[in-house]
Amino acid sequence: MITDKIKKILLVDDDIDLLEQNKTLLESRGFQVITAENSEDGYKLFQKELPDAAIIDLIMEQMDSGFILCYKIKKTEHGNKIPVFMLTSATYETGFKFSTSSKEEKEWIKCDGVINKPVVIEDLLAKLENFNYQ
Amino acid sequence: MNDCKGNILIVDDEKGLRLGTKRLLEEEGYIVAVAQNGSEGLQYGTTNDFDVAVIDLKMPDIDGMEVLQAIKQSHPNTVCFIATAFASYDTAIQATRIGAFGYIPKPFSPEELTYQIELGIKQRKLILDAQRLEQEREKNLLELANEKSRLNAIIKSINEGVIVINTNGALAYYNYSAIKLLGLSSLNIGENALSILPEQINEIVNKIFHSDKIMLKSFSTELSLNRQNEIFLEAACTPIPNPDGSLAGVVIILSNITEYKRIEIIKNQFVSMVAHELKTPIAAVQGFLNIIKDDSLNLSEEKKKDYLQRSSQRLKSLTDLVNDLLDISRLELKTKQKEIIDVNLCDIINSTLQMLELEIAKKELTIEKNEIEIIPLIKADFNEITRVVSNVLSNAIKYNKPNGKIFIDLNSSQNYVILKIKDTGIGMKDSERQKLFSEFYRAKNENTRGISGTGLGLSIVKRIVDSYYGIIEVDSEYGVGTTFTIKLPINPN
Repeated sequence: MITDKIKKILLVDDDIDLLEQNKTLLESRGFQVITAENSEDGYKLFQKELPDAAIIDLIMEQMDSGFILCYKIKKTEHGNKIPVFMLTSATYETGFKFSTSSKEEKEWIKCDGVINKPVVIEDLLAKLENFNYQ
Repeated sequence: MNDCKGNILIVDDEKGLRLGTKRLLEEEGYIVAVAQNGSEGLQYGTTNDFDVAVIDLKMPDIDGMEVLQAIKQSHPNTVCFIATAFASYDTAIQATRIGAFGYIPKPFSPEELTYQIELGIKQRKLILDAQRLEQEREKNLLELANEKSRLNAIIKSINEGVIVINTNGALAYYNYSAIKLLGLSSLNIGENALSILPEQINEIVNKIFHSDKIMLKSFSTELSLNRQNEIFLEAACTPIPNPDGSLAGVVIILSNITEYKRIEIIKNQFVSMVAHELKTPIAAVQGFLNIIKDDSLNLSEEKKKDYLQRSSQRLKSLTDLVNDLLDISRLELKTKQKEIIDVNLCDIINSTLQMLELEIAKKELTIEKNEIEIIPLIKADFNEITRVVSNVLSNAIKYNKPNGKIFIDLNSSQNYVILKIKDTGIGMKDSERQKLFSEFYRAKNENTRGISGTGLGLSIVKRIVDSYYGIIEVDSEYGVGTTFTIKLPINPN
């Protein structure tokens, strides 16, 4: 069961509606959810709470706020061990040319996957389930 | 020489012969002038351009040779004959050398004289025709030379680079723009162009060289050259055919398209941002609906109602966003005709304040107005100016602190009506202030939480103010407040 490995999830999103939706969905599946509305607070909360997974909105204060937060989390010893996903409505179709499939992109996009908005909880759970713990 | 056969000068000291000749030639249709001695002949002959002159060799005052020489010097095209009874081979040679066309031995019969005169007239025609042709030829050559240098000057001065390559790859022509655009130090006629040109251009040139048929069509490519600054070029390569249809060479036109590329990048970024901004509220509404639908979540009726309320709010924002985008598009395309009337800014401020009454009351804000008595009317579109005022005023409300103040100051200078709107709100950091007029930029920090907006309002305001050649300035102190100053020309023309 995924809830054996993951108990506490950090959500960072500057859109309070989406933040509440995802919190509701995850809590209904038995997770403890902690939230932050900007990347600075998100990083502080991460350091304080050491969650078992993190889901971060891509475009917050800046176009790349999510990337930077993700990069910072992944650089920590704890962050490197847990699944970190990017949340976005920016996709290839809307002209944001990035993915995490190529080696070059993996170099600096340190997240473990991208999730489209709105979140479909089953897809998110499947992604968490498939995360390869080392 | 129009209706007569020619102008003839007779120089002879023998009166009878002189008058007889004159009568004879006039009978034949010539106009005849007579000179009774050498000096008179010299004077006539040098001041008039006769077709033919018949000069007696032996005269008491001046020798015929001397008269001949003088006439030839001033009028080289006058055909001259020497007439003499003491003809010798030597004098004939000497006369010819000085420029005489022929020699008439005395005494001569009327037939002999008219025959010689006719020959002289023919010669005169030939000379004049030759002269005319020569002049025409020189004129044409001059025009040709002018044309060539003009064409050269045009090609050399255009911004586009021009390069012509022969079928053997040798450089046949270039202009300075080509050197500049390609970032070369020089080019030399005859050198192997294919070893100098960028690979992408060579590929096309080779394709043209090696195709079976000459296709009279251009092939274009875009290339980027990295020098101090990256520049983008478009190279259009067109085959040049020989008159027989075979390939003579290729002409390459290089254009600097860096600016178009830059605009394209900005445009693509804007489209991406628009797509993202449109998708986010849709995702939020979709998310709420998914949750409301999901019975397993056991949401309370109250929660469901709240989510529906928030969904409807997001849809309203989405509508605002679409409207703002349409406004930007109209302002950009300038398709919207401005309805220019006399606009009273004071009235607009009052009606806008009335419209925003509720928001002002909610935050318990105090409004302080300071206006001069007679404010000049401005020539503008009423709706556009209302948009500017309402946008800046509603920002002053939205970003104000509860129980804060808004100062409105309306004034005028010689050319402008000046509106200052000052709030006691959250203010901006310098970095935020600089991005204020960019599309979709919204200051985001702990103080702006829950403040909604499309991120396009001030961008629209700026576009409107700019369209009237007005000025908009922002002054702000973080945590203290912001002042917008809008200067609109009283008469934009």
